[in-house]
Amino acid sequence: MNHLSEEQLIELYYSEDGPEAARHLDTCPECARNYEGLQADLGDMKPVQPPLRNETYGQQVWESIADRLPAYTPPKKHWVLRPLWLGLSAAAACALLVAAFYAGRMWEHRQPPVQSAAVTKPVPPAPPRVVVVVLSDHLERSERFLVELKHASADDDELALPLRDEARSLLAANRTCQQEAEASGDPVLTKALDHLNGVLTELADHPGGLNAEAIAKLRQEMDAEGLLFEVRVLRSRIPDHEASIHKHGTGGIA
Amino acid sequence: MGRMETNDQAAIRAVLCGDRDAYAALVAHHSRSVFRVAYRITGNEADAEEVVQDAFIRGYRKLESFESRANFGTWIYRIAVRCALDKVGRRANEHQQTTIPIDAEPETIQVPDRTPSPEDFVLSGEIGAFRESAMHSLTPLERTAFTLRHMEDCSMEEIAAVLEIAPNAAKQAVYRAVHKLRQRLALLKVRT
Repeated sequence: MNHLSEEQLIELYYSEDGPEAARHLDTCPECARNYEGLQADLGDMKPVQPPLRNETYGQQVWESIADRLPAYTPPKKHWVLRPLWLGLSAAAACALLVAAFYAGRMWEHRQPPVQSAAVTKPVPPAPPRVVVVVLSDHLERSERFLVELKHASADDDELALPLRDEARSLLAANRTCQQEAEASGDPVLTKALDHLNGVLTELADHPGGLNAEAIAKLRQEMDAEGLLFEVRVLRSRIPDHEASIHKHGTGGIA
Repeated sequence: MGRMETNDQAAIRAVLCGDRDAYAALVAHHSRSVFRVAYRITGNEADAEEVVQDAFIRGYRKLESFESRANFGTWIYRIAVRCALDKVGRRANEHQQTTIPIDAEPETIQVPDRTPSPEDFVLSGEIGAFRESAMHSLTPLERTAFTLRHMEDCSMEEIAAVLEIAPNAAKQAVYRAVHKLRQRLALLKVRT
């Protein structure tokens, strides 16, 4: 009879070997004894329990490395094509919104009035899926814009013009989203979009023209960093909302 | 994709757009699991702390190569294992003069000043410390492969992927590690 090698026994211990080796142990006392010895030895090598680290450990690690991490530079070449693309995407978004609106109106008119004896609990109307998608895109663009605003250098006037153009482009989409937010009765979203509207308006139509100094001042006065946080929070809510639409077919933006 | 992964992806996009501070969220989410594996491989708190920092710095610098469909937790875990392997390798070189040759006869072992003998461990009741010493008798690759298989419950395929070696080489590393550890433990049992 061929006995099992140590490698086969190790494979068996880590469940990497097939049932053949296990069956062999039932009929071979010597291999069974060897396997018991292996089990005992590896049982002695208990997993090391690392020292506990508390909730603030991640923050401590971050503080110890933050100074060694240079910020990534957003790719500037996109600025050349961005106004064209943004204009096209904003136009497409608006067209989708209008189409969704009229499709909804026509669908409502064609439905016969439903008369039911049972009184059901009224549920708030779900925004069309296209609205959610447009809002998601808008918030993503706004987040990128605010990140660029946050990192705009106070002595680099070259950024002023692209930021102004971007603000103007975003302004139109933001107003559309504001109307949708007001209609859906979502106070958090409405407030954030109002705040965003203020920042965009100041940047888009700054009296006397926009320069690096004015950008820095507006950033401070309009609390652009706080707005960036608000936008991120809103963006994190979007996936849940989409899921809720699929699941229930009802619900607000929240 | 779970909420945590969605947040990770959002943070990665923000970092690549120039918001360096967004990386703090990734560090906060994953630093404890990275510390755990780093500690298990290095066996040393100070070294594990250095590995955690190295891993996140290396991860930051390579973030542009991170594929958006991948899981950041798995990705940074692999980087941490490789950092820990490097650390253990450097330590092994530093202490090369003080290790006990595994194949030496027990009677002829020349115990170096800095490495306690099995008797010392038994007398001081530090069996756990002897086990740790036995772990240090392994090569860095064997130690890392054994830790991943025995303590982190990784499959041989996962170990091979993390260490960027062939699956058969990963198996052989684990076999050799177990063989050497058993020899060490047998030595301890004979002495007691």
